[in-house]
Amino acid sequence: MISYIIKRAMQSVVVLLAVGLVAFGMFRFVGDPIDNMLGQERTDADVERLRELLGLNDPFIVQYWDFLTGAIQGDMGVSFRQGRPALDIILERLPATLELATVSAVFAMVMGILLGIYTAINRKGFVTTTILTTSLIGVSLPTFLIGILLIYIFAVELGWLPSFGRGDVVDFGWWTTGLTSWAGIKSLILPAITLGLYQMTLIMRLVRSEMSEILRQDYIRFARARGLTEKTINFRHAVKNTLIPVITVAGLQIGSIIAFSIITETVFQWPGVGLLFIDSVQFVDIPVMASYLMLISVMFVGINFIVDMLYLAIDPRLRDGKEG
Amino acid sequence: MKRSLLIALSAILLSGAAQAETFRWAGKTDPQTMDPHAVNSAPVLGFLNNVYEGLVRRGKDMAIEPALATSWEAIGEGKGWRFTLRKGVKFHDGSDFDAKDVLFSYERASAEESDTRSWFAPVSEVKIVDDFTIDIMTKAPNPIFPDSIANWMIMDSDWAKANNALRPDKKNSNFATLNTNGTGAFMVTDRQPGLSTSLKPFKGWWDKAEHNISDAKFTPIDNPATAVAALLSGEVDMINPVPIQDAARVDSQNGTKVIRGIEARVIMLGFGHDHEKIKFTSDANKANPFQDIRVRQAVAKAINVDAIRQTIMRGSAEAASQLVSPAMRGYSKANMAPTAYDPEGAKKLLADAGYGDGFSFGLKCPNNRYLNDEAVCQAVTAMLAQVGIKAELDAMPVQTYWPELRADNFDMYMLGWSPGTFDHEHPVRFLVSTPNKEKKLGSWNFGGFSNARVDDLLPMVQSEIDDSKRQGMIDEIVSIYQSEQAYVPLYVQPLVWGTRDNIALTQRPDNFFILRWVNVK
Repeated sequence: MISYIIKRAMQSVVVLLAVGLVAFGMFRFVGDPIDNMLGQERTDADVERLRELLGLNDPFIVQYWDFLTGAIQGDMGVSFRQGRPALDIILERLPATLELATVSAVFAMVMGILLGIYTAINRKGFVTTTILTTSLIGVSLPTFLIGILLIYIFAVELGWLPSFGRGDVVDFGWWTTGLTSWAGIKSLILPAITLGLYQMTLIMRLVRSEMSEILRQDYIRFARARGLTEKTINFRHAVKNTLIPVITVAGLQIGSIIAFSIITETVFQWPGVGLLFIDSVQFVDIPVMASYLMLISVMFVGINFIVDMLYLAIDPRLRDGKEG
Repeated sequence: MKRSLLIALSAILLSGAAQAETFRWAGKTDPQTMDPHAVNSAPVLGFLNNVYEGLVRRGKDMAIEPALATSWEAIGEGKGWRFTLRKGVKFHDGSDFDAKDVLFSYERASAEESDTRSWFAPVSEVKIVDDFTIDIMTKAPNPIFPDSIANWMIMDSDWAKANNALRPDKKNSNFATLNTNGTGAFMVTDRQPGLSTSLKPFKGWWDKAEHNISDAKFTPIDNPATAVAALLSGEVDMINPVPIQDAARVDSQNGTKVIRGIEARVIMLGFGHDHEKIKFTSDANKANPFQDIRVRQAVAKAINVDAIRQTIMRGSAEAASQLVSPAMRGYSKANMAPTAYDPEGAKKLLADAGYGDGFSFGLKCPNNRYLNDEAVCQAVTAMLAQVGIKAELDAMPVQTYWPELRADNFDMYMLGWSPGTFDHEHPVRFLVSTPNKEKKLGSWNFGGFSNARVDDLLPMVQSEIDDSKRQGMIDEIVSIYQSEQAYVPLYVQPLVWGTRDNIALTQRPDNFFILRWVNVK
């Protein structure tokens, strides 16, 4: 069992190293940061001096090695754009993204499950058809367009909700939150819906099909024959069994919510890590790009590692040291 | 009914905001630093012009006017300038301004670490005469020196010393990257890089305030559609730029308007003058047709600049005949006629040059640097096709565009140029002079255009004190680069800003947004 854990842990490390290597290999093609750091009246000598200072003249393998050795000591380099440690900048922006991701995940779960149950129980009818059609539009339109659409309806035409930013934010030093004020909550609504719409649809359709399946099972029929009320049958017996696969899928989707937030954050000028990443790409801010990519891959690798460990807990064959 | 009620309601809310005279504006780019000497770029210098000041400043008409210097005169047979400094000026932290700060700011801004050092290349020495007089000596007579330092901002020497910010730091930031202490009309009260920057009027400012703002807040908004939505919904009072395709909508909406102007930036096409061979397409490795002047002239005649202006720029650009716009110093009135659209003439020139059957080549273009740059290049490609030459367009983000041009990977390319000194000498020095690393000339002349007469005239222009003689020399340079068709100037890029109806402001051709000219009604 120990060897299994070590093996999985080693694989995670290899994945991280590979992500870093690919990222650094790509950075040579995203452009030259010098053009953003020096104005049009610069001389070749200025360019050369800055390249040397930033270590851009080194081969990318050397740059990668420097990044790795720094990263192990908690130093992810200094942002070309802001001149501050890249890790500090990312940690500053992370709460905004996590807050947005959490709220949209909750929105997706709650709405998805409720609508899924509703459409499973009431298989036909105007409301069900409307929900299903609307949700289809939700998954077919790109996030970008949905965001712009919502902005034009709710911010420009109706004037109910803000079109960009995070509203009033309270700063605790290590965490910032917009949830304590009405302005902050209002700012969260549109981005959270935009980001969560796809996941909501997914969960809704999953719940609907699972539940329809379960409602046809023998034990539901028996329950009905026993004279239990529809309410008890639906909510005590059917829903519980529906939720098992839903939770698995939902867990996997959390990672992609954070990754997808890049687009939503750009549309709403949401001050999170996704927007930071886009800004960094435009500026060719290599240390920030590298740190962001490493952070995201650490997150995905971490989730996968935990899933692997859960399999271990569930599957006795793995515990015996034989891989299934 | 319901909607008009909502509009009325939001109007009430908005007017409530206006009474506080908080001014919120959004731009595409966040100034990357608050250090006035670290980066010589328009977003940084434009923003900091509200906070820091120079010896001279530019007025609404772009002419220089006294700021921290009350007057200046040429001394030492033209080989220097004496500036008389303003008395009683205070920095935001309350300390006094004097000649010591000017000398310090010269040393700081011309240091190796500073991106602004090229402004001081002509300077030989800076001497303090007394507390409020300073002499700046130049290696040769330099008539435009006061014009060229309008963006040189003065920093308090004691403040810089106390906070360990004696030189700009491009790698690791220092105190001056995030904090400011200028003499300008506004002081920075809160700075969150990439998110927002807040300002307040400086009570102790030496000049009389023209604005009525009590608070100002700048937010960068990346996505143009979001910026337009923020303006339309009244969450910001001004945005720059408005995407040209959205301008009509912003103008027609109740409560917002568009302010149009002409920027200092001229958009042009450049050729690979020193390339022996074509580098791209199936004609690669054949002789470079653009080395023949008739082919270059044919390109100029084949492009219908008016059509580009009317369709892609929606009428808000101006045709260009030379490398600067008419508002710039040294604009050549003698050569102001742009090349006329003449496809037949172009075909004839091509036939004369032996390219009656046409040829193909690679055209490089940025797709996120200038207004609608890629669309313009597509139009150029189509227009050139009509006279029989086939451009293969390769449009790319600006991050990869400059490295590509520096590596000489083009047959023809697009370039925009805004002269930092607002003088015609600037594009001649950077775009027309023969490239020469030692003399720091022609550093953006990617195509390697070279003309001995221009190279001789440039130093003469740089040191000629007499304005009419100087203009004569510039006229000669212009007629050379026009007749040689060194570049094909297309148009002067428009400025399109959007504001709420209750905002009055002044738009300057350098695209600097000057807060002290803003009034909220």
